Amino acid sequence: MTGAPLLSVRNAARHYQSGETVVRALDGASLEAHAGELIGIMGPSGSGKSTLLLICGLLEPPSAGEIYIRDRLVSYPGADLDKLRGFRRDHIGFVFQKANLIPFLTATENVSIALEIADVEARAARGYATQLLGALDLGHRIDNRPSRLSGGEQQRVAVARALANDPPLILADEPTAALDSVRGRQVMELFRRIAVERSACVMVVTHDPRSLDLFDRVIELSDGRILSEPSQPVQAHP
Amino acid sequence: MNLAIKDIRFNLARFALTALGIGFLLMGAIGAIGLYRGIVADALLVIDHIGADLWVVQGERVGPFAEGSSISSTMDRRVEGVEGIASVRRFVQFSQQFSFAGKVRRATITGLDYPRDDGAWFELKAGRHLEASHFEAIADDSVGLPLGATIRLAKDDYRIVGLTHGLVDSAGDGLLFVSINDATAIASRRPSEQVLLARETSGNAAPQGDGASPSSVPQDSKIAAVLVGLAPGADVARIKAAILAWGDTNVLSSAEQRDLLLNQRLWRLRLQILAFASVLLLVTAIVISLIIYTLTMEKLHQIALLKLLGARNSAIVAMILQQAGLIGLFGFGLAMLLSHLTFPNFPRRIVMLPQDLGIFFAILCVICLVASWFGIAQALKVRAQEVLS
Repeated sequence: MTGAPLLSVRNAARHYQSGETVVRALDGASLEAHAGELIGIMGPSGSGKSTLLLICGLLEPPSAGEIYIRDRLVSYPGADLDKLRGFRRDHIGFVFQKANLIPFLTATENVSIALEIADVEARAARGYATQLLGALDLGHRIDNRPSRLSGGEQQRVAVARALANDPPLILADEPTAALDSVRGRQVMELFRRIAVERSACVMVVTHDPRSLDLFDRVIELSDGRILSEPSQPVQAHP
Repeated sequence: MNLAIKDIRFNLARFALTALGIGFLLMGAIGAIGLYRGIVADALLVIDHIGADLWVVQGERVGPFAEGSSISSTMDRRVEGVEGIASVRRFVQFSQQFSFAGKVRRATITGLDYPRDDGAWFELKAGRHLEASHFEAIADDSVGLPLGATIRLAKDDYRIVGLTHGLVDSAGDGLLFVSINDATAIASRRPSEQVLLARETSGNAAPQGDGASPSSVPQDSKIAAVLVGLAPGADVARIKAAILAWGDTNVLSSAEQRDLLLNQRLWRLRLQILAFASVLLLVTAIVISLIIYTLTMEKLHQIALLKLLGARNSAIVAMILQQAGLIGLFGFGLAMLLSHLTFPNFPRRIVMLPQDLGIFFAILCVICLVASWFGIAQALKVRAQEVLS
């Protein structure tokens, strides 16, 4: 990858006080991620994967280190992340293990809410949400509430919601954990497509080794530290 | 997109049940205040509508409502002679039980000084006012007598010639109007043995002085008061002073009668009902607050998600306030509906004054706002990452 990184994590650490013990959830991690990359973040439980994602997603400030997005310093120890709500809305999309859809909204509404929050006019938001869902093969499910959707469909709605504001960075925390292998593979292929077609940087925390072939590179974490050097891609993708 | 309405439509049954519960609670509080208002209204019905400027009652007494009063049956003639008095009527009122259609009925017999007073000061629901000085009666429909029915009171039969609605005394017993002479006769009814004993006592009594009664009030008088209507421009103070100078009478204005009734005779009951209404209102406030707070707490995960999506605090606050407001509004609407449907069937009058309902609505708004404020305080504390928990 060349050019300025979209995301730059510099020596980020996250320490928690647990009684008299200091838990080093993340311990001096540095990485750079570029537009169009699909990055896998792997590692055993408690290795700091989710903490890294929270810090990259501006949901937790680091105890030490700095986070840059498009060369702008956005997070540092003591940063007031609540003030970055608008920035997060425009720059970062999230997908989690659970789809976290709002149960009383239809699939379209679950997507368009993200746009309406960003002050997009309601009709235009619904139109774009319908278009996004169609692109994710959910055109026939636009008026269904989450309870009428399968796990895979719910996760694709969550992906559509993450894409709604066209963010340059998409963070996914074990998005396939609740899906069977076929559905899990489909979601990972979707991320691959998003990275390529939208030139978005997609970082996916996963335990699933079956999707390794889809990643541009994999960052491996252990005890809060990055083990593998993320400079070389696992497999080249056009 | 209005998230509050979307949520309500999704959980319509729960919203309806919540609003219904709040409606019932509010209805109870409205009913308690309405009962208080009803008791006051019932108690003041006669005083406010009979059209008397002054009440001449037994000396050293404040009758006939706050305590007993008995004056001469000819007192009206004496009062009529005072300058500045335009009209006089005698008044008597007492409770009576009687049988009709095999059932015991209760009524408060009220004497009308026919022909000076045929009852034109109250509205009839059916029939007519008194047209004869004897054996005609006008009954309130709460007594349960049909028009044209004949009832036996004391030793005479009375025909119901008119029906009223909502004319009751402070205890809630329906009024039964008869002529003052008939009322006196009904009140004077005694068993034969009692008459004989009275004659015996009277025959053995020692003569007092010149043989005249020591009081101008005959012991068997049943007249409680004389109602006075003043001539335009009459000097009230002078008239009162003139009547008080007789020594055997007292004079009270209608305002004084109202005050005596409300603040002497009924004050314990009023206080009791007001205390009960206050407790009910407090319970209502606590329950409504808890409902709204709990509803907000249930949404914390969704609120965290909205924050994650970048929603402004104002959007989250609006959602909570709108939902609380809608619950309050529907609860109040249901309370109104239920109150109007059920209270007319209650045995005592429930008076719902617009100003009371306005105050209830304002209190409800405050409750919703305070409960929402607690919910909002919690919602604003929620961090976006809690969506992961």
